[in-house]
Amino acid sequence: MAKRIINMESAIGIILVLFFLTYPLYASPFQIGLVGKFIVLILFAISLDLIWGYTGLLSLGHAVFFGLGGYILALSYTFQKGVPMFMQRFGIEEIPFWMSPLKSVQLGFLLGLLIPSLLAALMGYFIFKSRVSGVYFSIMTLAFVSLFELLIINLQAYTGGFNGLTGLPRFPVFGEPLDLIPFYYLIVVITVMIYSICRMLTKMHFGKVLRAIRENEDRVSFLSYEPANYKIFIFTLSGLIAGLAGMLYVSLNGFVSPKEIGVGLSISVILWVAIGGRGYLMGAVIGTLLMNWLSNSLSEQYPSVWQLLTGIAMILVVMFLPDGLYGTIKNRLSMSRK
Amino acid sequence: MIAQAFVDGLSFSAILLIVALGLAITFGVMKVINLAHGELIMIGAYTAYVVTTLFNLPYMLAIMAAFCTAALVGMLMEIIVIKRLYGRPLETLLATVGISIILQEVVRLLFGTVAKSVVAPFGQSISIGGIIVPYYRLFVILFSILLVVALVLLLYKTRFGMQLRSVSQNREMSQCLGINTSVIDTLTFALGSGLAGIAGAIIAPMRTVSPTMGSEYLMDSFMVVVLGGVGSIAGTNLGALIIGEANQLLTTLGTATFAKFMIFVLIIITIRFRPEGLLSSGGRQ
Repeated sequence: MAKRIINMESAIGIILVLFFLTYPLYASPFQIGLVGKFIVLILFAISLDLIWGYTGLLSLGHAVFFGLGGYILALSYTFQKGVPMFMQRFGIEEIPFWMSPLKSVQLGFLLGLLIPSLLAALMGYFIFKSRVSGVYFSIMTLAFVSLFELLIINLQAYTGGFNGLTGLPRFPVFGEPLDLIPFYYLIVVITVMIYSICRMLTKMHFGKVLRAIRENEDRVSFLSYEPANYKIFIFTLSGLIAGLAGMLYVSLNGFVSPKEIGVGLSISVILWVAIGGRGYLMGAVIGTLLMNWLSNSLSEQYPSVWQLLTGIAMILVVMFLPDGLYGTIKNRLSMSRK
Repeated sequence: MIAQAFVDGLSFSAILLIVALGLAITFGVMKVINLAHGELIMIGAYTAYVVTTLFNLPYMLAIMAAFCTAALVGMLMEIIVIKRLYGRPLETLLATVGISIILQEVVRLLFGTVAKSVVAPFGQSISIGGIIVPYYRLFVILFSILLVVALVLLLYKTRFGMQLRSVSQNREMSQCLGINTSVIDTLTFALGSGLAGIAGAIIAPMRTVSPTMGSEYLMDSFMVVVLGGVGSIAGTNLGALIIGEANQLLTTLGTATFAKFMIFVLIIITIRFRPEGLLSSGGRQ
């Protein structure tokens, strides 16, 4: 039985990877860019699944880490061309001291990984160490993402405000612009790597402790584990992956704006993971691909119908399909095997 | 100058209090994380718009209509969705996110995306010793006090209030004593939603009414309840007073963004050391 499940995950995984690898052979550049975007969002969904699916902590503000990574890299690229216009408009003639590390793209890339994870660690420390229940974590993260959106918009002099940062180099690796296709393959390789690492992590003893925390935190602490430390670690890792996804997203898009990385994205990624099946990394992958593909083909023609459908889908999945599509199919298969 | 800031803070506190009272019932007493709270406020505001602007009826009627409409929507929400998810807080939270998206879209389809406005029932302002207070702000402050008094009377002096409190304290025992807990749940949720509707009608004249206006108040109300203490009306009062005054004071010192940021940090630190909020009846589970 167990063998069968692994086979199903591997089978889907292999098919998807083959599809992603061969896609540029017959698709137009526009389509390649689009699928590349979906793959980056898969990375983001995996980061949410680690903390929500495996550990049972629903982060309603995960876009903060994604956006932070993206903004740090975007600012770093903007600074390559000297003091940006939006700063000069506010009378700032020099890049402020506390932002000066971003003048180096390499440092910017490093900070884009470090700052989201440090922020997650700090938030995790304050929330998890105080033994408030999971629901408070959700509320505080939601409050945090609304605040983050507000800060980005209002601190115009440093972030470009509502308009965001535009005209960034496309497909750069440490400032060296690549072509679309090599960059696309880079994204595929990074995502497959992160997926494998996360899969290993969740199959390990560590992953079992995480799931035990999700099921019954008290018992885990009776067994002399400290749940708070595990939660802080996984939240930090999740923040790091989300930051990486944000940086890839910005590099692919060539721009970033507060509208893209606020409450809306945080809620969307939850829906993707819920529909695919939380607690299964493959569920996050399938949910993200399915929902983004649907949204892309439907939302432009019928924007308000699409919104209405997402709302209804959210309620139906919560009430009738708690394991999501992948989880339900997987459980059915293993049941019939018994 | 400081006195003016204090009075401005007081009127902001009153708004926060009115907005958070509904949540103090649904979240504080029933432990339901209702992320559609903001949309219930929005529905109240649209009801006020329909009653005062489209039908030209008096403002006081709009407040009552807003209560009834939002309570009805809340009642439907509870019966159709939330009732099936009790004891699963994260699922409830997600389902209410779905509901909030649906409510926003429905209102957008009905009224269009153009923001509406509601005319304030009282214009002009009064000047007391150099401090300028618009009449409407004065009304909001008085109304918030009145609303709290009415709510406390309802909770502690009526049969429904007693049943509501006993269900929240010990569900099994209440059932044994012949209380239909399911009906009490529905009515309690309707009460909380109705209060959110009143909040919408109260804030409608002070701003533009749009389908997304609710989300601006959602986090403020949660912060008030979390800071003040869950399940405590006194705590909600205290939370609203502290956040309202602190916001005004910090805005005077820095900027509005700075004030919001500092208040968020303040609340995170408070939760670290007093997870149950400033005033709370029991531990937080």
